[in-house]
Formats: sequence, C-alpha cells, structure tokens
Amino acid sequence: MAEALLTAEGLTKRFGGVYANREVSFEVGRGEIVGLIGPNGAGKTTLFNLVTGFVRPDSGRVRFAGADVTRLRPDRLCHLGVARTFQILKPFPRLTVEENVMIGALARGGGMSRAREAARRCLALVGLEHKSGVLARGLSTGQRKRLEMARALATQPQLLLLDEITGGVDQPSIPGLIELVGRLRAEGVTLLVIEHNMRVIMGLADRVVFLHLGEKLAEGTPQAIASHPEVIALYLGRQHERS
Amino acid sequence: MRAWLGHRVEGLPVAAIAALGIALAVYPLVATLPFWRHVVIMSMLYGAMGVAWNILGGLAGQVSFGHALYFGVGAYAAAYCYKVLGLAPLVSIPIALAVSCVAAVLVGLPTFRLRGHYFVLASVFIMEGIHIVVSNWDRFGAAIGLEYPVYKAKGFADALWHGQFQDKLPYYYLAFLLLGLALVVFRAIQRSPFGMFLVAIREEQDAAQSLGVNVARCKLYALVASAAITTLCGTFYAQYVLYVEPSSTMSLVISLEICFIAILGGIGTLWGPVLGAFVIVPVTELLRAYLSGRIALDMSALADGGIAAWLEYYARGGGGNLDILAYGLMIMLIARFQPAGVLGFLRRID
Repeated sequence: MAEALLTAEGLTKRFGGVYANREVSFEVGRGEIVGLIGPNGAGKTTLFNLVTGFVRPDSGRVRFAGADVTRLRPDRLCHLGVARTFQILKPFPRLTVEENVMIGALARGGGMSRAREAARRCLALVGLEHKSGVLARGLSTGQRKRLEMARALATQPQLLLLDEITGGVDQPSIPGLIELVGRLRAEGVTLLVIEHNMRVIMGLADRVVFLHLGEKLAEGTPQAIASHPEVIALYLGRQHERS
Repeated sequence: MRAWLGHRVEGLPVAAIAALGIALAVYPLVATLPFWRHVVIMSMLYGAMGVAWNILGGLAGQVSFGHALYFGVGAYAAAYCYKVLGLAPLVSIPIALAVSCVAAVLVGLPTFRLRGHYFVLASVFIMEGIHIVVSNWDRFGAAIGLEYPVYKAKGFADALWHGQFQDKLPYYYLAFLLLGLALVVFRAIQRSPFGMFLVAIREEQDAAQSLGVNVARCKLYALVASAAITTLCGTFYAQYVLYVEPSSTMSLVISLEICFIAILGGIGTLWGPVLGAFVIVPVTELLRAYLSGRIALDMSALADGGIAAWLEYYARGGGGNLDILAYGLMIMLIARFQPAGVLGFLRRID
C-alpha cells in the first residue's frame, strides 16, 4: 500500500448506550479507492462523520497526511484537503448549480471570477455544465449526486469521501457515476466510498472495509471480502455465494 | 450611457434607482410640512434598519427578534454621552459602535450554536433581559429614560456638532444618507464571497461547513455588520427625537417592526426592506396621527377617568395602539397572499 493519507485509530462513538463505532481502525493510502460496506446501521455514516469532523469521537484518533486532525471542525478539515458528499443530499436549493460549486471554490480563497472558472471546470468534469444556470432544487437525484461531487471537488481535496454513490439513483445513471469516480481517481484524488451495490464496489475499490454493528469485521481486496464467510453470512447472503 | 442606465441592480434599472433617489432627495423641498417630512424620515430610518437586519436575517437566514438591542445601544450611547458626559454625537458614534460590536459578539457567540427557532427565542430573551436591566438602571434614567437638554445652535456647523437641528430638513438628509449607506453595505456584502457564504449557510449549513465555510465566524461578522448599521440608526433616532426611553428603543415591538419590514418587503432581497418600510411606516404613522385619537381603543382607561380623560386622550393624540393593530393585519394579509413579501406582488406583474 502507498503512504497512508488517512489513518483512523481505534475510533469509538457511542450514542447513549449504543456503540455507533467501536475501536475502528483502518488506513487509506494515497491514490487508493477504499470501499466501506456493511448492513444498515453498521456505522458507516457515523464513521464518515467522525473522519470529517461533524461528530467528535469518544476515543481514538484521526490522522490526515501525517497530522492529528481528530478534533478539527469540518471547515478546517476541508482546508486541509478533506471533502465529502452526504448520503442525504444537501444542495443549496435556491442557488444555481454554478453558484453551488462556487461556494466550494470560494472557501479556498480567490475572487468571484476565479471561483466561477473553477466551478465551470468542476461541472465539466462531472458532466453537469449544461445545468450550470439552473436552480439546484430542479435537479434529479443523479444530477444532485454529481453536483455534490463537483462542489466537493471545487475545494481541491486530496481525499474525497463519497456517501453512497448509486443509492437512490436510477439504473441507467449508475455506469456514468462509476465512470466518474474512476475519473476522479485519475485526477489524483484519493477516495473513501460507502456503497451498497456490491457490483459497483467490486469494480471500483482497491480494498474494502466491512463494518458490522459499529465494528470492523473484515478488510481486504474486494475478492477476499466477497468470499469472507462472515461477510457472506451477515451481509451478502447465500445467493451471492452461489453466483 | 444608455446601456449603463438600463443595467439592472436586482431587477431595478439604474435609471429607475437614480430617479427614485432624486425624487427622495427633492421630496422635502416640496413637502414642507413637518409631518410629511417626518413620515419619510421614519420610513428611511426603518428602511435602513430593515436592510441592516436583512444582512443577518435575509442573507444568512438567522432571524433575529432582538435587533432593538443594537438600536437601543445607539440611542442610549448618544443620549448618555451627550447629556451626562457632554460628548458630541461625532464622538459618541465610535463609542456606540464599539459597545454594539461587543454586544453583538456576546450575543452571537452563544446563540449562533442554536439553530432555527431556538436562535429566534434566544434573541428575544436576551433583548428583553437587557430591556429590564435598562428599565431599572438609574444611571440611564430607568423607565423614564434620558431627555436631551435642548441646545440653541449658533449656525449650521455648531448644530451639526451637537446633532440637534430646529428644522427637519437636516435630519431628513441624514436619514437619506443612512438608507444609502445600508443599501451600499448590503449590496457589497451580497456580491462578495462573504455574502455567498452567508447564503450557503442559510440554504444548508452542514454542506456549507463541509465546503470550508467557517460558519460561526461568518454569522458573527454578519451580525456585527448588521448591528453596527442598526446602532447608527439608534444614534440618529436619539438625536432626532431628543429623548430615549426603554420601550421606544429597546423593546420587542421595535425588534418586530424592524424584522417585519424586511420580511413583508421581501426577505433576502436588496429592495424588499425599503419597499416594506415605505409601505408600513407611512400607514402606521398616518394611523397614529389621524385615527388613534378618534377611535378609542383604551376603553378601560377612558371609562375610569370620565370626560376629562377623554379630552386628554384626544389632546395627546390617542392611545397609539392602532398602528400595532394595522401591523398585525398587514402581516396576516401578506403571509396569506404573498409569502415572498410585497416585492413578490411586483414580481408577479413582471
């Protein structure tokens, strides 16, 4: 594995008596695509929130590019090069698509015109340039996913966390989104991806981390994870085993 | 030149803005009766405060019901500095702004952690709390307030230094400047990256933060800018009426008037609060002047006092609650028919 860009060490978060994450440790190497899978309620989104600073861990550390970033706010992390999308999409509904993306570029500094240029570039990269003048609330779910990616890219991230690339998207749009993630990697972005669609994760990820009830149960190549007995028993089911 | 005049600033052509500005500047030369000047002075003053409120409420989406606090700071600072310390308004303005800035930070730091309705409630409680403190603080005249010693100025420069004019005309143009200042500041913020961040916070705070926007700092800066203009308005008001007391400067009613002007006119827009002020203030001022003396709403006070009370009631110009009633009615009508504000009616015609 390449040099670690992101390191999670023993991350634990409890909500009341329930462990959302318990002693979760993993690494993401520079240039990798790492998949994060697990049943509903496994703690995938909480783990994202811990890594991006939206939720503070009860214990454990997060290192990014060698520095301890455990208790930093999301905006500070963004400036260091960590960006994310949200499972429940959060566009700025009454701003245009272009303005949405400009926010990400502006927070990085530079004036309005430079931000507009950056926004155009990012929108072209995700294939949304034809919608730049439209209000974000008028977009379809697939387009909103692309918008969130463009917005995150405008912050010039080193690490991008994608919470459900294909969730809620119509089948015909899925190949395009997968291809887009590949293109982001080619741009030099490291990716940590939550994804339910096993076919998608098998095709994309270099490594997969499997979470169950807040704990890391398995980690390895997609092939190793797909044939891991516990993952099959808890998540994939026997049908997958046969095929 | 023609292309430039046709250029639109938030839907209003530059030519129209210039025409309206000139009309407003010429108005007091035509309308020489003090009352008619007073109506427009108050409209411009409330317009400026509505625009200032809109920086925080409209752009950043943080609805404050506590802006009378900053209005009161401006009014009390000016009155106290002049009456007790003998300082001219030009000296007291920086003091007022400093106090207002500190107050805004003290209010903002804890309350901006709250979201939605809780922020609104906190803004009310803080302002009402300070209202009670001021109402009982003898140094500031407690519930009676501070009355300015009237100053007979020797010439215009002297009057300007003391901030007291016999005529309404100088006040008129000062209010005109205040409104212009508020609009320029609002527009500058609206078109800057900072303004974009405020709108992003309004639209989706978590997303804004994940994109690198320092949410707490942006809200605080918005509040400080908004409070500073409101404080200038407070100082103007004190110098205009030459009397400050808690209920007409630092009360919930004033807070609500400020924010309803922005909301009724068109929240988050440049011209909305100005439009709102020029609809609401004249209506309420006219009602106060013409109707409340004739239609007795304070029936209980009148019934107790017999004929003498009635006479006094008329002589003083009446109970003065009818304007609040008209306010409520207008709010209900607009909320029912055009939630986007008065500006929404005009947009529909477009």
